[in-house]
Amino acid sequence: MSMDLSDGILVRRVREGEVELFAALVARYRDRGARFATRMLGRSEDAEEALQDAFVRAYRALDRCDDPDRFDRWFFSILANRCRTAGARIGRREQTFVAEEEGVPRAAVPHPAERSAWREELDRAVGMLDTDQREAFLLKHVEELSYEEMSEITGATVSALKMRVKRACERLRFTLQGAYTNG
Amino acid sequence: MGDEHDMNDELDVELADELIARAATSLREPVATSAGFDARVMAEVRGRRSRPWLLRARTLRVSPIAGLAAAAAISAVTLLVPRLTTLVVPPVVSTVVPVVATEAARAAATVLATHAADAAGLQYVQFVFVAPAARKVAVVGSFNDWDTAKTQMVRGPGGVWKAMVPLTAGRYTYSFVVDGARWQADASAPRSVDDDFGAPSSVITVAPRP
Repeated sequence: MSMDLSDGILVRRVREGEVELFAALVARYRDRGARFATRMLGRSEDAEEALQDAFVRAYRALDRCDDPDRFDRWFFSILANRCRTAGARIGRREQTFVAEEEGVPRAAVPHPAERSAWREELDRAVGMLDTDQREAFLLKHVEELSYEEMSEITGATVSALKMRVKRACERLRFTLQGAYTNG
Repeated sequence: MGDEHDMNDELDVELADELIARAATSLREPVATSAGFDARVMAEVRGRRSRPWLLRARTLRVSPIAGLAAAAAISAVTLLVPRLTTLVVPPVVSTVVPVVATEAARAAATVLATHAADAAGLQYVQFVFVAPAARKVAVVGSFNDWDTAKTQMVRGPGGVWKAMVPLTAGRYTYSFVVDGARWQADASAPRSVDDDFGAPSSVITVAPRP
């Protein structure tokens, strides 16, 4: 029932004390948020922690959501921020990719059945992007947002975001070329 | 020659765009959260957790020998980490602790016996705090409404204070309150960015059960 209500109505009613309605917002943005956070941070455990943190922070700051009808953008700005903070703390790139470069032979790494070599290369390539570039690429090409929406979420200018996406694409092309032609 | 070069460039651009499109399609695949995610968020949002297990305390019967063995095991685990730290202890431990002979374990057993029922999804986290001069210590956090009366720690040998708290997987912030007044973060755990309520606090993440 509450799932039929618009974001704006849900936000206003939660603010007025109907705390349980916040669950509808969690259900509505959980999957998108999990996808974005996982692509940003790499590990699902880290992503889930950042996502939970983002929802709780959004609830606590709900009075500061200036446009309740655009809760999605506001929430994503919080989530993107949490991912940046978590990413910096985790130092994921150093942990993951330095270890890999130190040389576990590729052939010795078993590929889980459901996970193709292409997918593994893709995750690796995305993880190697700078945080700014990864965030911009995901918002543009995965979440399919406009540059104006991305600007609201990240606080960066449209031109800066276009440059980040362009560079992200260039780096991904370079990194993935081999995997694509072989896979 | 020039035409051939242009044609190669076009092919490169076409391949590159196809590559990015394929990458985006793969990255758009859904990602599921672990079971109970919504419930954990809402528990933290409400500022208190649902506690059906509190209503289902039960008496546990074990042999004195088994109880003493469990007490020894718990002491050993705790003493291995004499600094401030947190440990995840399998729930099965709680079923044998109530008959422990030592004073500290007897007090801890009261808490554990109360919390032992219906432990599905719960993991028992032992909070340990070293404060030889303290008269009393409580652990407070997002799991108990930051209430200094809810989770009193039990003093053990050497001024090692302990409390066992059942938690579901998720992220929690917490602090220790010494003698009812002094709030102290866990020096061995990551510091909370927020420092909730203006007091120093730490962060613990309980991983989902495999």
